Amino acid sequence: MTQQAASARCRVGIDVGGTFTDFVLTETATGGLTYFKEPSVPADPSLAVERGMLGLLERARMSPADVELVVHGTTLGVNAIIQRRGARVALVASRGNRDVLEIARCRMPSSYDLHAGKEEPLVPRDLAFEIAARGRADGSAALEPADAEIAALAERIAAAEVSAVAVMLLNSYANPALERRVAEGLRARLPGVLVSCSADVWPEIREYERALVATLNAYIHPLLDRYYTTLRERMDRIGVRAPLYITASNGGSLSLDSARARPIETAMSGPASGVVAAARTSALAERPRIITFDMGGTSSDIAVSEGGEPEYTTRTMIGDFPLVLPVVNVSSIGAGGGSLVWVDRQGVLKVGPDSAGADPGPICYRRGGTEPTVTDCYVATGIIDPAAFLGGRMTLDRDAAVAALGRIAGAIGIAGPDAAARAAESALAVATARMATELFKGLAQRGLDPRRFALVPFGGAGPTHSNLLAEEARLDTIVVPPAPGTFCAMGAILADIKRDYVRTVRSRLDVALAHRLSELFGELAHEARAWLDREGDIVGATAMRYGADMRYAGQAYELPVALPAMTGGVDAAAIAELFHEAHERVYGFRDAGSPIEITTVRLGIAGKVPPVAAPRRTPAAGAPEPHASRPVFHRGSWIEAKVYRRAALGPGAAFAGPALVEQEDTTTWVLPGWRARVDAADNIHIARD
Amino acid sequence: MTTMKTDPVLLEILSNKAIATAEEMGYALQRTGRTLYVKETADFGTALVKPDGKFFAYPAAIGVSGFIDLDCGPSIRAVKDLAPGDVIITNHPYASEGLATHTPDLHLIQPYFHGGRIVCYGWSFIHISDVGGAVPSSISPRSREVYQEGFLIPPMKLRRGGELNPDFLTLFLANCRTPETNLGDIRAMLAALEVGRRRVDEMIRQHGLDVFLQAQEDIVAYTARRARDALRRLADGRYEFWDYLDDDLATGIPLRVRVAVTIRGGEAEVDYTGTDPQVMAAYNIPTGGKRHPWLTLKLVHFVCTMDRGIPLNEGLFQPVHVIAPSGSIVNPEFPAATGVRHAAAIRVNDALNGALAKAAPDLVPACNGGVTIPVVLAEATGATGQRNVIVIEPMIGGMGARKGHDGVDGRDSSISNLANNPLETVEADAAIEVIDYAVRPDSGGAGQWRGGNGLVLTFRVLSDGASVLGRGMERFRFQPYGVAGGMPGASARTVLSMGGPDERELGKIDMLDLKAGDVVTVMTPGGGGWGDPLERDPEAVLADVRRGFVSAEAAARDYGVVVRAGRLDAAATAARRQAAPPRPAEAFSFGPERAAWERVFDDRRAVALNAALEPLPVAQRQHERRRAILAVVPELADDPKAILANALRDAAARGRRLDAELARLGAGRVGRAAE
Repeated sequence: MTQQAASARCRVGIDVGGTFTDFVLTETATGGLTYFKEPSVPADPSLAVERGMLGLLERARMSPADVELVVHGTTLGVNAIIQRRGARVALVASRGNRDVLEIARCRMPSSYDLHAGKEEPLVPRDLAFEIAARGRADGSAALEPADAEIAALAERIAAAEVSAVAVMLLNSYANPALERRVAEGLRARLPGVLVSCSADVWPEIREYERALVATLNAYIHPLLDRYYTTLRERMDRIGVRAPLYITASNGGSLSLDSARARPIETAMSGPASGVVAAARTSALAERPRIITFDMGGTSSDIAVSEGGEPEYTTRTMIGDFPLVLPVVNVSSIGAGGGSLVWVDRQGVLKVGPDSAGADPGPICYRRGGTEPTVTDCYVATGIIDPAAFLGGRMTLDRDAAVAALGRIAGAIGIAGPDAAARAAESALAVATARMATELFKGLAQRGLDPRRFALVPFGGAGPTHSNLLAEEARLDTIVVPPAPGTFCAMGAILADIKRDYVRTVRSRLDVALAHRLSELFGELAHEARAWLDREGDIVGATAMRYGADMRYAGQAYELPVALPAMTGGVDAAAIAELFHEAHERVYGFRDAGSPIEITTVRLGIAGKVPPVAAPRRTPAAGAPEPHASRPVFHRGSWIEAKVYRRAALGPGAAFAGPALVEQEDTTTWVLPGWRARVDAADNIHIARD
Repeated sequence: MTTMKTDPVLLEILSNKAIATAEEMGYALQRTGRTLYVKETADFGTALVKPDGKFFAYPAAIGVSGFIDLDCGPSIRAVKDLAPGDVIITNHPYASEGLATHTPDLHLIQPYFHGGRIVCYGWSFIHISDVGGAVPSSISPRSREVYQEGFLIPPMKLRRGGELNPDFLTLFLANCRTPETNLGDIRAMLAALEVGRRRVDEMIRQHGLDVFLQAQEDIVAYTARRARDALRRLADGRYEFWDYLDDDLATGIPLRVRVAVTIRGGEAEVDYTGTDPQVMAAYNIPTGGKRHPWLTLKLVHFVCTMDRGIPLNEGLFQPVHVIAPSGSIVNPEFPAATGVRHAAAIRVNDALNGALAKAAPDLVPACNGGVTIPVVLAEATGATGQRNVIVIEPMIGGMGARKGHDGVDGRDSSISNLANNPLETVEADAAIEVIDYAVRPDSGGAGQWRGGNGLVLTFRVLSDGASVLGRGMERFRFQPYGVAGGMPGASARTVLSMGGPDERELGKIDMLDLKAGDVVTVMTPGGGGWGDPLERDPEAVLADVRRGFVSAEAAARDYGVVVRAGRLDAAATAARRQAAPPRPAEAFSFGPERAAWERVFDDRRAVALNAALEPLPVAQRQHERRRAILAVVPELADDPKAILANALRDAAARGRRLDAELARLGAGRVGRAAE
């Protein structure tokens, strides 16, 4: 690093999306930021990365040698899972358990729908093989195969012509040795085929979920392996020799080698990166409790972050499948900019769930869209200036949007000169009401009161819609970050190197277990440090997070509890009290008389990447000058809103709604009755007047 | 049809808000509820209720899915002088007229006031752990009267003006085995109702009282319009169907649910006349004789399938009319036990499904496996004599096929859509080893579209002194029916030492004591097939054989498809299919046991028997019915598991014997007149 530091002067974050590949460059010394958007190339995604990197460096007046770190996020993996474009994978399971993926958890996606089918298993049943190998819950081996059996299995798998294999033997969470032996036997006989071992990827009890982690890992490995190879070659070719890191679903990042070995850990990184950037905004804006509001083309998503730490979950869905790896907890609350506005057979106005997507997109994009969308409503009501979209690079067709919304107005009985605008405002009201109610539900599930949180919008439409949502949900504050449209790329730069570890315990909490926990955490910490040491030399300080999933004996549900450093002496009573407190906080009661069980222990390691300097500017005095004003249709009539350019708003600038703030990647709509103020980190705070 | 007065924008907004409120209530309840039924099986509910007691907003995604049409009206009307802060409680299946359908379901209703008047109600319910009675958890199929099923609470005030009634609570909790958990669950339900009250207040403040009141009506009217549109997909006509529970628990006498569905222009009449009388077991479904969720579930599923995203509320049912004869298992008289009413409800569901399959054969699937068999293991733990009781797996069958689609293997959403248990947690918690947990090949009914296969579970007991308890053991006799020429799914089986020298068919297990090393196998039924199996694409049969869902033998026997060494023998297949005898163009197929039973107890005689018994008092009705049937089939008295196809070989003589019984009961004339 020291050698590089002489010339290295910047870091680059990259987010490959469906429509655009976003870039953010930060200058190490000053924290100065440069943004760039390059159209994505779905057939060859790293080509857009190469092109965009050159464009970005040119804009920032930097050379490829100046780059000290590239952090990259991609949705290739998750898309392959959703669209079923992954590898042909074989599953190896214990005898009597080949249907583990077929049976799954026995549940159907809907109880109401007579026509609902189940998810197509990732491994068809004829590629699910059994072997006489399995463990017991105590870690001993109950069935051990002879080498000849492994060899015979390898032959059958070779004949099946798969490109990857997942191995999951019963009870391997308790002792991975047998599973490893089988996997190594297969690897030796199946050159060029990835063999993914369930307990090596995620040694947690529950065979279906663990099999799924190993299978998903195998399923996306060949695709991502090829992609990463090409990406590295392209970066080298243009002279960017900086280490390449890949963003992970837990809000961290991984070295290229780690990401290649365990691609499943990166699959949900896209939404996670945005939340990481928002957590940073939260710190800079001194609003420790935030709800992120990411509104893109097809949906809007929320996540919660408190004290700069995003909330995680170990229950999420990836496509049709449950994923038990810890990921940043992101949930959908409704419409995106491309969601369709329509009228049902009974004459009721609807927004979504179908979306015009990126193609054909909203009517106003002139790409062949014929159904009005939420974005068309912004244009028809004057919130978005058709001439200023994407910094004026794309002129929107306002007349077509108005005409389509006029038809909607007719279908719901709205007439008169402003019918289209009324219909548009009605559709926005419908979409907003849905978002607010979903937001309430999401926070209710977490046991949180949304009114204590600030809203941090990002994504192309987040700042456009955030004030409407805040007003409907009666939230008091919105913090709009400087470049909301490239926020995931920003999050990539900020991500620390992170990995999570898990072990299953399932024991009653007593003094003996406390001793065992101390040893177990010691081993995990050792393993984690050894891993981190190999992640590259950019790592600075190291932080460990300790936790355990605990429950009262007999309960069927577990509560994750954060624990203090667990490698020294451990006090069983103190752990018990932490659990009682957590249980009381979340579930409203404690059961002091009940024994407590620890089911799972968790350790997270974070290698801090040296912080990026925050660009802070001194506040300028005086009210900013709007560069224009235009009518916006609001609450049934046209009102005149001042229009500001984001770039012209320095720290300290303050103004009242109705106002619009325009920048290349978004438009921020400030409602009447609200006031905006720019802070020293260039965030716009919008609060009730 | 009501016209909607609320404008179409507000209607959508308020409908969403009301549903979201019901769901948020559900999340509040789920988070703080204490019983396993809340945490694991989502056996709870929340809703917003119109002043007449019917639901106008019901969650789409949390809690039980089937209770949309419950009626709080009788419970509300039973309690006088409701004031702000009051909350009604009840678990009484009869006094609540079917709001509670078994005693552990505790229902709370809170009037929401605005400006001194009730503007709507909130509702929440939890299946709590125990309300006392004869057995832990309060429900046993062997209960005969609701008094054995725990502490009965007629609709009354749990809370008065915000103050809980301490005398009630003391008395109630003294009568439960799990007082502390129950109290926690009551608090969770109250918390949910409070969330509802707050959100209703906010809605009224934002939109005005008149708008809110009108919207309640219009939200329901809107759903009703959509429901009628969906029901128009069913052809006008009258469709009769019946299906059986294997037995009434006390004897081997089968229990029949008979339904006639009449469709006319988007309206449906569902008539259960002819269904068997209530039984001396806890299978009775208390409905108050009205339209009731347990009696219309399949119809609602049909509507929701035709119109995905239809808002869930009472409007779904406005086009539906129900007739449920008094004293039958679908409308029992007090104090018949109701604890295991869902066992009968599954068959009600299957019967209704059959009627709908007649009305819309291209849209409605064949019969699902139709069982939930929680395989329960009780093992001795240590010297204390305490028993460790765990559910190894809640075993379900496969799903029925429908036109164009095979049934789903190893799943069944039609009952409770429960998650299974990971084998690893089971093996960590009990001294067993699971040898096999797999899809059960050849169990799905053959058809042009194959019925979903059931499941098989085989486990070895590792310690002495363990027993397996059987619950939900159904479909051992009567198979899930096939449709449009499809074959029925295989029946359920239980086997000891399968494949071993001492293999033994166990049949229905009540309680089975085991020693270390014993191996038990439980097999669940497959779903029914759809269409003639000889019409199935040979490539699809080949794929099934390669994937092990269908054996090569069954492929040849049932489908006429010859597979040799993993390859299709096209010539042999063509020859075999050509040579197959012409099949009777039967729309439905039910399997040999039902055929044997109905050679004696055909529909005419079964209806006549129930009609003749109807004038008798309920207790005598049950007695006389048993006497008449056992006079015809005395074998069932000795061996409740008797195979009907063996026992009823001399159908003609038995039929004459039954006619004599009918004559004795005064039904002779009815029977002869119909001949």
